[in-house]
Amino acid sequence: MAKTYDYLFKLLLIGDSGVGKTSILFRFSEDAFNISFISTIGIDFKIRTIDLDGKKVKLQIWDTAGQERFRTITTAYYRGSMGIMLVYDVTNEKSFENIKNWIRNIEENASADVEKMILGNKCDLDSKRQVSKERGEQLAIEYQIKFVETSAKDSLNVEYAFFTLARDIKAKMEKKQEASNPAPRTGGHQLRANEQQRKPTSWLSRCSLL
Amino acid sequence: MSEVVNKDTVPDEAQKDYVEDGKNKLLVKCKFCGSKILEKKTAKYVAIEKELPLMQQDANRKDGEVQKEMINEYFHVENMYIFENIGFTHPVDNYKYLICADCDAGPVGYYELDSKHSYVALSRIVQS
Repeated sequence: MAKTYDYLFKLLLIGDSGVGKTSILFRFSEDAFNISFISTIGIDFKIRTIDLDGKKVKLQIWDTAGQERFRTITTAYYRGSMGIMLVYDVTNEKSFENIKNWIRNIEENASADVEKMILGNKCDLDSKRQVSKERGEQLAIEYQIKFVETSAKDSLNVEYAFFTLARDIKAKMEKKQEASNPAPRTGGHQLRANEQQRKPTSWLSRCSLL
Repeated sequence: MSEVVNKDTVPDEAQKDYVEDGKNKLLVKCKFCGSKILEKKTAKYVAIEKELPLMQQDANRKDGEVQKEMINEYFHVENMYIFENIGFTHPVDNYKYLICADCDAGPVGYYELDSKHSYVALSRIVQS
C-alpha cells in the first residue's frame, strides 16, 4: 500500500511526575466513559496527523508517565525519538530545577540531534506560581531550546508547541537530506522513526549547548 | 451467484451504503467530538465477532469486573500509521484499546499486539 503521509515523527513527553505530561496527551475529561474504563488502563501513545506547510505529517506522541520515578527514562523509550517535550510545572520549583537533569538524561541516552522544547505547564494556576516566565525563558536561552508556557487544562499553547517542535524536526531533516543528498531522489521523502540511529553523545559535540 | 455467501468479505444490503470495494466508503469519525479517525477507503470491512468493553461501565459493577458486549462488524487497519488521529491505551493481555485522540472516548476498537493490526468497531464510530 502506498504511503499516506510524508513524514512520521516520534515524540516524547518527559519531566517530573505530576507536571501534567499525561494531561497534555490525555484529557481525562469528566465524562463517565473515561473515568470508568479508559483512565484506569492509562494511555500509551497517540497518533495525530497534521499539515505542515503542505506536507502530511504523522506524529506519534508517547507519554512517559510512570517511568519518571526511576529518575531516568530507559533507552527503549528514547530509541527512534526525534523530538522531546521537556515539561515542568510552573507551580513546582523542583520540577523546574530538574529540567537540567532531564536534559542530561537525554544527552546520555537519546539521539544526539533530537529536537527539544521546554514547556512550563499549568500556567493557568497563576496564584500558585513558583517559577516566573522569565526564568523559563532564561533556561531555554541557556540551552538554546525553544520555550513556551502551556495550560493543558485550558488547551493553551499545547497545539502550538507540537506544531513548533514538528516544524523544527522537519526543517532539520530537510537540511540534513540536502547536505547528504544534494540531488534529491524522485519519489519523495520516506522517513521512518526507527531508521534514526542513536549516536553516542560526546561532550565536545554538545559544547555549543553547554 | 452462489448460495453460499462469504460473510467475511461480502457486505449485505445494509452495509452497502458505507462499504465500497470492501473498504470504508466514508470518513470514519468520533461519535462524540467528530475527530477524524480514518480517511476514506483506508480500512477493510470485516465481519468478525469480538467482545469489547463497554464505553460506559456501570458504577455499581463488581470490583475488577469489566462489562463487555459482542460486536460483529469492524474496520480492519493493517498499519497503525494509516490512522489520522487515534490513541492507544496501555496493553491489557494481548490488546491495546483504541480511543479517540481528541476526546479520549473509547474503546472504539482494539489493537492486537501479536499481529500489530487494529480493528475499529463500526457501532462505536460515525461515518460521513
